[in-house]
Amino acid sequence: MNPYPVDPYWMVALKALLVVVGLLIAFAFMTLIERRLLARFQVRMGPNRVGPSGLLQPVADAIKSIFKEDLVVERADKVLFVLAPLIGVVFALLAFGVIPFGPPGSFFGYQPWVLNLDLGLLYLFAVSEMAIYGIFLAGWASGSKYSLLGSLRSSASLISYELGLGIALLSPVLLVGSLNLNDIVNWQKENGWLVLYAFPAFLLYAIAALAEAARTPFDLPEAEQELVGGYHTEYSSIKWALFQMTEYIHFITASALIPTLFLGGWTMPFLEVPYLWMFLKIAFFLFLFIWIRATWFRLRYDQLLRLGWGFLFPVALVWFLVTALVVALDLPRSYLLYLSLAAFLVLLGAILYSPKSARKAPKGLSKGGGA
Amino acid sequence: MSPLEALALLALLFTGVLVVTLKNAIHAALALIGNFLILAGIYVALEARFLGFIQIIAYAGAIVVLFLFVIMLLYAAQGEVGFDPLARSRPLALLLSLGVALVLLSGLWGLNLAFTQDLKGGLPQALGPLLYGDWLGVLLAVGFLLMVATVVAVALVQPTRPLDALSPEERKEEKEVVR
Repeated sequence: MNPYPVDPYWMVALKALLVVVGLLIAFAFMTLIERRLLARFQVRMGPNRVGPSGLLQPVADAIKSIFKEDLVVERADKVLFVLAPLIGVVFALLAFGVIPFGPPGSFFGYQPWVLNLDLGLLYLFAVSEMAIYGIFLAGWASGSKYSLLGSLRSSASLISYELGLGIALLSPVLLVGSLNLNDIVNWQKENGWLVLYAFPAFLLYAIAALAEAARTPFDLPEAEQELVGGYHTEYSSIKWALFQMTEYIHFITASALIPTLFLGGWTMPFLEVPYLWMFLKIAFFLFLFIWIRATWFRLRYDQLLRLGWGFLFPVALVWFLVTALVVALDLPRSYLLYLSLAAFLVLLGAILYSPKSARKAPKGLSKGGGA
Repeated sequence: MSPLEALALLALLFTGVLVVTLKNAIHAALALIGNFLILAGIYVALEARFLGFIQIIAYAGAIVVLFLFVIMLLYAAQGEVGFDPLARSRPLALLLSLGVALVLLSGLWGLNLAFTQDLKGGLPQALGPLLYGDWLGVLLAVGFLLMVATVVAVALVQPTRPLDALSPEERKEEKEVVR
């Protein structure tokens, strides 16, 4: 059933360790990169004092957050208060292992992935859903109203975007006929990138991935202007740092998954180097998401719910039905290429058209902003 | 029964008992998540991998998130569910649960557990034709039942008159009730 070569267990353990260490280092430097980029967007300097041009800032931050006083609030549920950040980090780290970074045997003769599951996509879903409990329990266990509001928001948004996210991924799965991430990448190598066949699904998945990583247009659980710090209001020192870590790991994983599922993964039509393109694509999406954070406003709570149920879910469903029709009737797959192009043109039209209509009727903003 | 199977069985029973006995509703919901995760592990060990992952995604993920959402909205401040409305009925509950167990066990009696189809490790590629072929009628019936339940639930929480048919004062009250 699973045609890919399997590594010995010691090698799998070593690669798992490598992924964890790599993600932790990436997290530390992403905080610096994000702060420097945001500063640049806002025409200021950003952190530039620690080390050469601020490069040692993450180290200073780490030392500070470890040695600060670690408070446990009086009204907190003591066990869950400590457990919540750990749940968050563990499930965030678990997701990254299934993403392939190159063809079989390209990691010093071993495989460039940690896990190769037949149900890789379902595994990702399961892990990312469980990761919500970190945020969720933290908000409740703090025994504070702001924290509780943050966690209620996170659960309500999970329910609203998860359905759209899942159904958006069904159309590429139908085309490929497999849930294995390696199969999906190889199919794209042979037939062309899935974004060409399923542009609406790509768009919906990118939006929902922002919501899943709680990035800016959807960072309601920790909206600092409204909720102090959201779910981590009562957390300090290393536990707070663990929440930051969780958030950035989700962010990095999301930016690795979008290219894997829709943009050919590690493959490229020209100049095929196993790791290079994957890292470039991840970097591109990380930059794009920071750019969005610097430019875009945060959606209101009810706007997110309306976007989830009123835009993501129906559009994902319609596109899934279209793909299912093409696959079931065994029509040529190139029909989907034209339909994707049409969807892209509709999106372009909506972007060019919406500012005028939004000024007349401010209530329509949420839909226009979503499209 | 191998030691690992025994361990899984004990963990299942233990978390199940915790769900019923814990006073704090949030802790009980967490025990329920633990129970579902162990069950998913058992499914995967029995080569029903698709079912195992669906168990995590649908039950341990979405449904318990809904449970927790409702619990947090209702008992936000304390989390303790409080008084036990059926304090004297423990023997009755024991009797009932034993009866249910007996009914389930009697269903297993004489069941021929010989697999006639190769399910290839329970992957969707093998399950799909079976589910949407031989068992299509059952699947549609279950789906229809669920849909009816959803429609009824939505109909029950509807306000008596549509919001825009009310006068401004009434609308204010109605909105407060809905919230």
